[in-house]
Amino acid sequence: MGKVHIEIDGQKLEAEVGSMIIEVADKADIYIPRFCYHKKLSVAANCRMCMVDVANLPKAVPACATPVAEGMVIDTRSQKAINAQKAVMEFLLINHPLDCPVCDQGGECELQDLSVGYGDDVSRFTEGKRVVKDKDIGPLIATDMTRCIHCTRCVRFGQEIVGIREFGATGRGEHMEIGTYIEETVESEVSANIIDLCPVGALTAKPSQFKARAWELRQAPSIAAHDCLGSNIFVHHRRGEIIRVVPRENESINEVWLSDRDRFSYQGLTEGARLLNPRIKRNGEWEDCDWQTALNLVASEMKRIIGASNGNDFGILMGNNATTEESYLAQRMLRKAGSNNIDFRTRRRDYTGDGRGSVRSGMNFPMENLDTMDATLLIGADLRHEQPLTALRVRKSTGYGKAMAINPFDGEYNFRLSNELQPKSNMLAQEFACVLAAADALRPESLNAEAKEWLDGIEFNDEHKEIAQNLIDGEASCILMGVYVQEHPQAETINWLAETLASVTDSDWGYMTQGCNAAGNKIAGAVPCQSAAGGKSEQGKTAKEMLTEGLKGYMLVNCEPDVESIWAEQALQNLKDAEFVVALTSFADGRVPDYANVMLPIAGCYETSGTYINVEGKWQSFAAAVKAPGEARPGWKVLRVLANLLDLSGFEYESSLQVINELREKFDAVGDVRVARKVPPPMMVVNEQETNRECLGLYMVDPLVRRAGALQKTPKASTHPISISRVKTR
Amino acid sequence: MKQFKQFINSFLLIELLKGMKVTFANMFRKKITVQYPEEKTPQSPRFRGLHALRTYPNGEERCIACKLCEAVCPAAAITIEAGPREDDGTRRTTKYEIDLFKCIFCGFCEESCPVDSIVETRVFDYHFEERGLHIMTKDMLLEMGRIHEDQIAADREADAKYR
Ligand code: SF4
Ligand code: SF4
Ligand code: SF4
Ligand code: FES
Repeated sequence: MGKVHIEIDGQKLEAEVGSMIIEVADKADIYIPRFCYHKKLSVAANCRMCMVDVANLPKAVPACATPVAEGMVIDTRSQKAINAQKAVMEFLLINHPLDCPVCDQGGECELQDLSVGYGDDVSRFTEGKRVVKDKDIGPLIATDMTRCIHCTRCVRFGQEIVGIREFGATGRGEHMEIGTYIEETVESEVSANIIDLCPVGALTAKPSQFKARAWELRQAPSIAAHDCLGSNIFVHHRRGEIIRVVPRENESINEVWLSDRDRFSYQGLTEGARLLNPRIKRNGEWEDCDWQTALNLVASEMKRIIGASNGNDFGILMGNNATTEESYLAQRMLRKAGSNNIDFRTRRRDYTGDGRGSVRSGMNFPMENLDTMDATLLIGADLRHEQPLTALRVRKSTGYGKAMAINPFDGEYNFRLSNELQPKSNMLAQEFACVLAAADALRPESLNAEAKEWLDGIEFNDEHKEIAQNLIDGEASCILMGVYVQEHPQAETINWLAETLASVTDSDWGYMTQGCNAAGNKIAGAVPCQSAAGGKSEQGKTAKEMLTEGLKGYMLVNCEPDVESIWAEQALQNLKDAEFVVALTSFADGRVPDYANVMLPIAGCYETSGTYINVEGKWQSFAAAVKAPGEARPGWKVLRVLANLLDLSGFEYESSLQVINELREKFDAVGDVRVARKVPPPMMVVNEQETNRECLGLYMVDPLVRRAGALQKTPKASTHPISISRVKTR
Repeated sequence: MKQFKQFINSFLLIELLKGMKVTFANMFRKKITVQYPEEKTPQSPRFRGLHALRTYPNGEERCIACKLCEAVCPAAAITIEAGPREDDGTRRTTKYEIDLFKCIFCGFCEESCPVDSIVETRVFDYHFEERGLHIMTKDMLLEMGRIHEDQIAADREADAKYR
């Protein structure tokens, strides 16, 4: 694109043709007041606050809607511009209630800030102000629509970014109202972003309503812990209590958005029933005790069980939001103590890929690229419910590219699909294989003999061909598998198909993972088949074996297999039957107290330092934002001390940083090696009953979210996105 | 010579008499000693004594938990926690405490309050009998408001024209 030369406030700037004045000014750090303009939304130009003075133009013009032109001379602070801005401010304040003292936005309000600069101290308006009835739009967002200044950011967010029109404007002029047309809950999984977008206090967060003022809050950067993206966040806390979580801008991960799950899950920590002391069950009664007693007991029981069974009868299960440090220490401790039974994949049926694939799990291309794909093929991916923000990215790409899906369920999409196949849940691999066969027919030279033999006899139809053609045609194309695939009994076959199809069609491929740290857990070696950084290990028991066959002793780190795992009922029975169960947990409720013998209180997400490795392989470390309540201690410290009590050497870490650096060194030494599959996996025929007919609901994924009050009250909480009724059994 | 003069002066107690002159002069002046606590000195309507939280005539508390007083307090004596009130969801304080050991009675809190809720009364004589009583809780402050409302209202009235 060409460049033009303009001048803003005496500063000579170069700008791209077609960009708006405000964009250029923002880049040069020249502030132009605005309400309706937002860099991620379309230009509406309806607030008129951004008036600037352009030389040779008779009137002031809106900077957000005026494209730059060669030689433009712009003055943002001339009398003409300021007069126009002041007039707009007076106009906006006519109908604004000025109830800042009771408004949650007070102290961080764009209208408040700008009225200091452009407002008058007395109002010339003596007539009555308009009043708008508040809307009840659900448990997450509080409304006070009288304060609305009709910037329509919230409306445009729904329309453009999410693709679901939940908000709209009705009426005109003074009677214009922003609302949901009919009384209903705003229920998209990213709805709460409109809280950040709203420049005034019309839309505010309900769970933290009236709790704190912006100036009382301290801000700590952290990483969200509920999906594999690792969204960047700020934790806002006051006097040691988390008040809210807001997005931290990171263009390559979450842009400026945050899913509701990441935003409101903190409530689990502040309102959930926290475990404050180590506890031991004696004769069926729980007794609080000190750390020393509890850890000694755990160490001696571990020694006893591991010793007696040669390591066979003790196992560790890591939870969905365990940090990499915790996983690394847990596996190192266990392996040194003489057992390999450690796993985090409590929702995996197919373990035949263990020992192959890459050291970490996840995507092999940057998430950003999803924005610009010409063709995206989703396999068993319910993006909106698994990684809500990736759905927004795929939606962006559908502006010009194509999205296709092979999902064995009625997925909910916020973008248009050009092709959709809905096989039966047990026929997913077979259906997908047809696409590969079609691709092979289109590009016969790229597959090797073994693969060709594998594909022999698989028939495909026009739809399959079209999908393959789209992938081949697209300059940038990708195949993205969802969590559903990883839970599928044929996960390995489907992975192989995706990888092969990607090589035939020159596409990128990757898969989404359950939980926030699947990649980290795998690199840390919290899997039975490999130790840290892909190191060798004797094969231990997988999560499935541990939970279905039963062990004598279990250690659960932030894990509730009775809810999270696929074999919830069996798991519960086996945990109850076990001789010794120690749970490292933040919470005192749930069913853990029924089966555990010792409960050790560990710090929750924002209370511990740690590292999450996201699905693209980005290592993101964070420090603790607040202190854990009571006697609770960060998980890595507990595991470190436990290792000392087990008389294991080499556990002298003093900070979580030392732990992660040690792992980082190991990982960097080997790199992200991939052990390719030599022979294609067998195409099994699976029984429908054995396939996944349920996924963890949006707000069920980890112990923290399950205890987040407001999220649990939303309509989305009650539905399992992929429930039995929705899985196609044709 | 100088020595002699000094001797005479001290022998005749001249210096003492000079000093006593002040004493005797004051002995017959009008006394200004106030018989506290029976008597009290007059106070300005702007007097800054013990705090109170006011209520509206219908009993509704005025405070809306805006936290401006907490923010302005130079001694950080005020601690407020807020949330929606249980029955009607309005914005109210769930905790409002003033630490009288920290307070410097500057009156900024009163100045900053948009609804004339926190005020300083004319009460300045008080004591604490137990550790911890120096923290005035919301109930104590509201009770102060109820007891002194007439005086508080009259004082605000008198001062209104200067504001
Ligand atoms: S509710 Fe907020 S974001 Fe929506 S139009 Fe009104 S002021 Fe703008
Ligand atoms: S009088 Fe001054 S020091 Fe005392 S509470 Fe009020 S603002 Fe704080
Ligand atoms: S300034 Fe007034 S209304 Fe605001 S919190 Fe203090 S007492 Fe309450
Ligand atoms: S920001 Fe330009 S018109 Fe609103």
